[in-house]
Amino acid sequence: MKKVLILVLIIFAVGCAKKYVKETEEPVRAKPEAAVEAPKEVKVEEKIIPREVAPTPVLQAQEPAFELKDALFDYDKYDIRPDARVALDSVAAWLNKNKNINILIEGHCDERGTNEYNLALGEKRATAARDYLIARGVASTKINTISYGEEKPICTEQNEACYQKNRRAHFVVTK
Amino acid sequence: MNYKQKSTEHRAQSTDKNNLLSISYVLFSLVCVLCSVFFCLSSAHAKVYIDITSPALRKLPISISYTGPEGAKEIPEIVKNDLDFAGIFYLIDPDISGAEITAKISVETAEEIKADVTLFDLINNKEVFRKKYTASRNILRTLAHSISDDIFKEITGREGIFRTKIAYIVSSYGKNSLHMMDWDGYSQTRVISIGLTLSHIWSPDSQYLVYSSERNKMWEIYSLNLRNYREMTLFSSKGINLVGGISHNNQIAFSSSKDGSPEIYVMNLNGSGSKKLTKSLGIDVSPVFSPDGSQIVFVSDRGGTPQIYIMDSDGTRIRRLTFEGVYNTSPAWSPDGKWIAFVGRKNGNNQIFMIKSDSTDLRQLTENRNNENPTFSPDGMFIAFDSDRDGSKGIYLMSINGERQKRITPKDIKAMNPKWSPYIK
Repeated sequence: MKKVLILVLIIFAVGCAKKYVKETEEPVRAKPEAAVEAPKEVKVEEKIIPREVAPTPVLQAQEPAFELKDALFDYDKYDIRPDARVALDSVAAWLNKNKNINILIEGHCDERGTNEYNLALGEKRATAARDYLIARGVASTKINTISYGEEKPICTEQNEACYQKNRRAHFVVTK
Repeated sequence: MNYKQKSTEHRAQSTDKNNLLSISYVLFSLVCVLCSVFFCLSSAHAKVYIDITSPALRKLPISISYTGPEGAKEIPEIVKNDLDFAGIFYLIDPDISGAEITAKISVETAEEIKADVTLFDLINNKEVFRKKYTASRNILRTLAHSISDDIFKEITGREGIFRTKIAYIVSSYGKNSLHMMDWDGYSQTRVISIGLTLSHIWSPDSQYLVYSSERNKMWEIYSLNLRNYREMTLFSSKGINLVGGISHNNQIAFSSSKDGSPEIYVMNLNGSGSKKLTKSLGIDVSPVFSPDGSQIVFVSDRGGTPQIYIMDSDGTRIRRLTFEGVYNTSPAWSPDGKWIAFVGRKNGNNQIFMIKSDSTDLRQLTENRNNENPTFSPDGMFIAFDSDRDGSKGIYLMSINGERQKRITPKDIKAMNPKWSPYIK
């Protein structure tokens, strides 16, 4: 039974192959509807893209009354260093004095890590700074955080001085 | 001030529209070329000339000849470039003897390109493949890649990768936009330019791109249907939300810090059913499914430094994969499930390594400057990655043994984070 089946398959295959070589296939044309189809796509586009690119209300960044110094971090680390405490203490004191002000903490990294991990690292730096401020009496509702990882460096040279400037939690007054 | 901003928005919009139009057209036209491919499947497995799994692989001498107008001469050049990069052929001048297989490409052209391709086995003196292709001029490259795929399949019995795409990020002035191109670096098209896009993945059917963008100070996960260009927000919360991988049955793995620290989650392709898998005080990021969907590889600093870990896809049985060095990130799982490619720091630079999923057989594939973000071709034979070896970051390809490294994006754009598409069906 098996043999018969194999034989049938072989005959079928040979038949197929022969037929295949002799006949040329029907050319498949690029459908003339393509030209008609395309504008249709554009219409869909018009509906959707405005929603995508619609100007979104960007949190207005204002210059603070005095400079809020960045809290700097060690390479690949997100714990608060002694010098960062000094910076954060002055941010906390200022926020506790100016109760109507909200801030956004941006977490940044130097370029040496990989992009995704750095985004997570920047997030940890921003939240470490936030947690420190909360421990110093700042209301948690006044603080938002965002990570930019290594995507928005303030310094682009490849040396430690520059890397250090980029490893930071940066404070932006939002209201 | 307000007015100015508006007019910029409008410009961005109309440029996007043109781009989108060209993409939908390319995708549509692709279908037309593909239709002709299906006709020849019945004869595809007649004889395998090269067993690419064999350790003692012998390169097959092949010649490509062309007759036709000057205007379509690109076609044989594209096919030669494709077959040359595959690494299993010796390309031989058709005027010189020594070829065992010869491909004859003849083209008659006007507005439409009509190509007739035959493959002739010179050893056994018989025609083994013949097919006609028709396509409009603007998809000449796609047509040529289809010819390469057919020749590759005829000779190896396996699917070629020559019609696949690579999605990647272009960074310029602090903005990251999502682009895609053919595997060989041509046909570069901008896909999403709104916000700051970082991570992105292809759905298993190549019909969707899923990506994380920062817009309005929020990192959200979006999906884009490449057929109709509809974008959907899949996941939104405070903190970071970063896509990592997608399983064959459309489960998305991502990292979210919605509860405080970045943890690994999974959800469905439509954004429903999100479920948290890890719980640690530190960073858990970059989750990628194994090809069979049973495991997830990810990066965690739970041991003090960023290292690569594997867990079952329900979040149980977490075990550490990498032990060498203090910085190992960006894992990619090979299509056959055996290997994990990743980025490891060595002597202050980031390099691409491969290791078996049982932690054995560590291999270093790159050594020049920084090399990051590895992604496997769907046949598992190649890795695309980004590198700053020539100054500005660009996208490079290499074979999985580290050979034949070459840049495929121009030097005047900063291109990074390539993600190779699945086979285009």
